[in-house]
Amino acid sequence: MPFKILQTSTGAAVRAVAGALLAASAVAAAAAPVTQEYLLTVTRPGQLHVIDMASHAILRSCDIPGKFGSGSIAPSPDGRVAYVLSNLWEDVYGIDITDCKVVFSARQSKDNIRVKTFQSVTVSADGKELYTVQNPVRLLPDRFEVMEPRLAVYSTSGGLDAPLLKSFPVSRRITKIAATQTGEVILGGADVTAIDPRTGATRVVTALANWDRGPQWLTPDAFAMHSQGEQAAEYIMPYVTARFTDETQNMETAEWWWGMSRVDLKTGKAEQREIVPFEFIVFNFITDPTNPDILFGSFNQLSKHDLRNQKTLAVEPMPHTYYNLNITSDGRKIFVGGAANDISIHDAETLKKIGSIELPGDMSTSDLRVARRLKD
Amino acid sequence: MALINKEFFRTATAIAGLALGVGLVSPAAAASPDGVALIRERCLSCHTEQAGADAKFSRISGQRKSPEGWQMTLNRMQHHRGLQLSADEKRVLIKHLADRQGLAPEEAAPWRYLLEQDVNRVESLDPAYTQMCARCHSGARFALQRRSEEEWRLLIHFHMGQHPTLELHAMSRDRPWMQLALNETAPQLAKDFPLVSEAWQNWQKAAKPDLGGSWRVIGYVPGKGEFDARMKATPAAADHFAVTLDGRYLDGSPMRGEGTATVYTGYEWRAALTVDGVRMRQVLAASADGQSMAGRQFGRDARSVGGELRAVRESDTANVIAVLPAHLRSGARATLTVIGSRLDGELSLGEGVRIVEVVSRSPERIVVLAEAAGAPGLRDVKVGAAAGPGLLAVYDRIARIEVSPADALARIGGTEGDPAAQMEKVPVVFRAVGYAAGPDGKPGTEDDLRLGHVPVQWAIEPANEAAEKEKDHLFAGAIDAHGVFTPGDAAPNPKRHMSANNVGMLKVVATADDGAGAAVRADANLLVAVPDFVRRVLD
Repeated sequence: MPFKILQTSTGAAVRAVAGALLAASAVAAAAAPVTQEYLLTVTRPGQLHVIDMASHAILRSCDIPGKFGSGSIAPSPDGRVAYVLSNLWEDVYGIDITDCKVVFSARQSKDNIRVKTFQSVTVSADGKELYTVQNPVRLLPDRFEVMEPRLAVYSTSGGLDAPLLKSFPVSRRITKIAATQTGEVILGGADVTAIDPRTGATRVVTALANWDRGPQWLTPDAFAMHSQGEQAAEYIMPYVTARFTDETQNMETAEWWWGMSRVDLKTGKAEQREIVPFEFIVFNFITDPTNPDILFGSFNQLSKHDLRNQKTLAVEPMPHTYYNLNITSDGRKIFVGGAANDISIHDAETLKKIGSIELPGDMSTSDLRVARRLKD
Repeated sequence: MALINKEFFRTATAIAGLALGVGLVSPAAAASPDGVALIRERCLSCHTEQAGADAKFSRISGQRKSPEGWQMTLNRMQHHRGLQLSADEKRVLIKHLADRQGLAPEEAAPWRYLLEQDVNRVESLDPAYTQMCARCHSGARFALQRRSEEEWRLLIHFHMGQHPTLELHAMSRDRPWMQLALNETAPQLAKDFPLVSEAWQNWQKAAKPDLGGSWRVIGYVPGKGEFDARMKATPAAADHFAVTLDGRYLDGSPMRGEGTATVYTGYEWRAALTVDGVRMRQVLAASADGQSMAGRQFGRDARSVGGELRAVRESDTANVIAVLPAHLRSGARATLTVIGSRLDGELSLGEGVRIVEVVSRSPERIVVLAEAAGAPGLRDVKVGAAAGPGLLAVYDRIARIEVSPADALARIGGTEGDPAAQMEKVPVVFRAVGYAAGPDGKPGTEDDLRLGHVPVQWAIEPANEAAEKEKDHLFAGAIDAHGVFTPGDAAPNPKRHMSANNVGMLKVVATADDGAGAAVRADANLLVAVPDFVRRVLD
């Protein structure tokens, strides 16, 4: 496989595997001559990588200020700026993916109030506002005082050290948020809720921890700590539940299921449903942007699931754990990453591996996001 | 219920350097200001002194805990909060706090296994505590503390402040953890583990025994076996002793040790000794009358490698402490060692047990060849007027054995001499206890006759189908003839599926000869896990 040596913005030479996919990427490029899709991810100790999803080349590696955060990334709707959670989950930096310039920063901790954000960073559909969920703690001389979490609103034009415009109380345990095109912010924690960032009014989108499905269903364990879904304009909160044979809730005879709350980010409307029987751990799901009945999942295997028939269509074993995945907008190529330092590229039809990208550091818990913009 | 385990960490923080009981307080420190003066000098840039006659300090005065508990607090203050304290000052402060804000013997008693670093056990706790607290650390860790309700609440705030993601874990994210912790767990803790207790008030008033003097001790060193020794504790300063150990292993080979000991809270004996070249620790609790101490002796570095230790004060009168082994098969001959002090009179091993030959004899130990006859049961061992009731079990056959620990956790680690490896392996020491069936002839019933530790052959097997498929028993480690399981090397192993670490789920199988030519088998569960990258004083 030929290696291409690219000069990164930091001067580090980064190898990218182009390889056998040149023909396929040429076709993809021809089909979409105007816009280009960039895969964004973060590696330790603190670099944002901008990857051409057609050629698989690492175009740029941008230094992120601060210590490693969680690698949570929110792309701006115009695909130009990547907002990255950094500095031990405290600061957000907006980085221009075309030249690596830091164009925005929000330092959330102030005075004796330390603020941590668990992944939750998103940008409004019009690109004007940045939202985070803040978990503040007051550090007093001889004690901690845990404060209530809040949705924080910043203006993306706030520049460096942008001031907090306003905040609204939200529930604890929120890990993943997304802005809808209707102006709400979806908040995923115990339940999936939505907040209006103009008024602070909230509504339940999908009750999960507080669902009311009777004694035949186990209260779901819902958890997500990666954001994706921009290709299908969706927000997925996956969960595991069990369906009991009767009210005695016998775990031995229960059927175990993967399920999800899937929010359509165009409308803010959600569907909650079981996906497939629980056979293996899936860390993240995405929907095929060209077919809402097809889901892909990643962890120790890449998997493909048919929602309509609640069946697993294909399973591709992986050589190590990959937390995360994303997909091209044409639904043809899947990029599987997270945990280690390689992104594995697969054919969405067969799930067979068709390429890989080697990164200079481990992705750890980082997101894999897609920015779509006019070609450089 | 939490399966807990301990581990050690070669590049440990200052914790290792200041294990309790190490070194005597230097004369300078002994003469230095008392604990209250040290608190005023070093702690009040953050804490506040409360108005009133007796010295009370914010946060500090609302808590009581073990010496190790106070050590952990001071470690955290040093490493995370900028406390400046010399090693001597730290010893003074730990002793000051443990003496004045410690635990009564009966408060610590149910949870001593954690102080003793004997942590391969499944704890028995209120399920509310198991889910809210003991899914991350042992239950003993908080049960060895006493706090006011306000202090328990502040501890919850501390948890969330220090570990902000804890409410996202499994068994947190399915419930409003913070609200439950503040509104239900803190009041329950204040009720179950209160700052003010009758036990503590009584212990504060009670006369404390002087633990200096001469002791007969019986213990177990993995790989070497059971031993008995004379332990001399010579007073060096108040509650501080110079300690020597002089004894023999059961096979007759000598054991020697020396070091120092400190007594906290009037009964918590902590010794640091070098025993036959290996640095070891003793964590013992003295009885209220100061006539005996019990606990565990273990490696300073390899805390999981150790064994029970029992000490009996030597006096003017004869004392029979133990017989090793503690069992003799009816109709068979075996060598027995009677251990005690001032063993001057005639030896009797009980009804039907004939002494064939006295192999050797001293006031501390009598080695005999003995032959048993008669009905199975416990026999009193007498030397002159001294009696050891029920010390010897005469049995027909070993009907069953139990492997201890029944559930254990080992941790893979760096190989010997590998400078790149940060973490030491955490081994597990297994032993087997034998039982005869008892009068009803059925093993596993209440009348089973306990025979003490019995020799067995050790082996490991995959624990289940998945472990067999992954060949865990070939990668995860090995067990030696002494029952010491040494886990495999750390780091991804390219020979394994998905380059897995040398982790595994194993069964540890012990096989004993029942004495009548048949094999008796028992097993234990062993999980071989990844390294734990934190060495805590108490897990």
